[in-house]
Amino acid sequence: MRSVGGYVWVDSPLHRAPAAAKLAGLMAAAALVVLASTPLELALASAGVAALVAVSRVGWRVAARAAWGLRWFLLAVLLLNAFLLSDVDPILSLGPASLTVEGISQGARVVTRSLLVVVLGTLLTATTRPQELVAGVRTLLLPLARLGIPTEAAALAVGVTVQFVPTLLRESRQIMRAQALRCGNAAPRGVMRRAAGFVRLLVPMFVSAVRRADELSIAMEARGYRLSPSRESAGGQERKMSS
Amino acid sequence: MSQVKRIVIAAVCAALCIVLPMAFHSIPNAGALWLPMHIPVMVSGLVAGPVAGAVTGLLGPVLSSLLTGMPAAPILPSMTCELVVYGLVSGLLCAHVRTGRLPLDLYVSLVGAMICGRIVGGLLQALIFSAGSYSLAAWATAYFLTGLPGIVLQLVVVVPVVVALERAGLVPARYGTDR
Repeated sequence: MRSVGGYVWVDSPLHRAPAAAKLAGLMAAAALVVLASTPLELALASAGVAALVAVSRVGWRVAARAAWGLRWFLLAVLLLNAFLLSDVDPILSLGPASLTVEGISQGARVVTRSLLVVVLGTLLTATTRPQELVAGVRTLLLPLARLGIPTEAAALAVGVTVQFVPTLLRESRQIMRAQALRCGNAAPRGVMRRAAGFVRLLVPMFVSAVRRADELSIAMEARGYRLSPSRESAGGQERKMSS
Repeated sequence: MSQVKRIVIAAVCAALCIVLPMAFHSIPNAGALWLPMHIPVMVSGLVAGPVAGAVTGLLGPVLSSLLTGMPAAPILPSMTCELVVYGLVSGLLCAHVRTGRLPLDLYVSLVGAMICGRIVGGLLQALIFSAGSYSLAAWATAYFLTGLPGIVLQLVVVVPVVVALERAGLVPARYGTDR
């Protein structure tokens, strides 16, 4: 099982920056990366992301962790584009597939954009604690509250999701170990056997997760938390969520 | 079910959207084949309603992409739209379909959501995300052939999960005595 990209405990300008600014910056930077199409624009974007990694002091290995996990997917994207995008002026023909310069350059563009966006996302989670991320989402959503959009519910959902991921990961590992002790290895050799092993885990994982959701919602309501316009302050709400 | 509980269930299912693919990704190409992120979205829609299903469909892929890099950025918008439709339609159908038998209600809602999500996903690909370079054959291959193990998995797993949650008393019973 892979790990979630987590917070890196170092001090840097990126760590000290407000979470809302980092979130807004991530969205703007991702949009710029997606819009970059020429080699010069992509090189400038890559240099910008590399500078951010250096400033963040999280280390190149941490910054590249999520991107490395996607290596086979990105390789497949590159090969599919290189062989299937066009059949004009082929460098190499293999049946219906043709390796073309246009396909290689399009594949390289898509892979570079994906890598840069993934590294930007990793930088955000490596320099921002989950609680700060939730507060940042709440700050960014504040203008939408004036339009009648339930921003408190959205911030609550983001907060609970981020806080539950490590808990559910731990529980899924416990359920896997319990299954392995009771009826054999939950992750045996062979794709179909391994998939069948994971299917056995799904019902206990869902029951356990929804039981936790039930307990949390009961605890929140018992402390007077309501999703209504006359709710208490954001600070009070966060205190209840963490209790 | 209270609003707070609906939102918390939606959020926990979104967390499962992040955790389940991480478990499945020890199997090669599991994301495209087994579609593990679809299961919590469907469950959220079926047990907590259309809004909760849509919230799970929105938060799951976006936060998963942010935290784990999966799904990759180029496929994130189309996948998010598709998952929102799954959650929304499964919740809407579950709220309106009442045959008197819980498993039948759930299967009708599930299959309806699976069909609607794939149609909307294909339309969005054809009109927005891959405009001009998308064909019916590509749609059928991506949504039905490649994801066939995932379709079977959803049909096998989602309804028993919802029934198990009802039997455990964690969500309100749909029919008073149908246990």
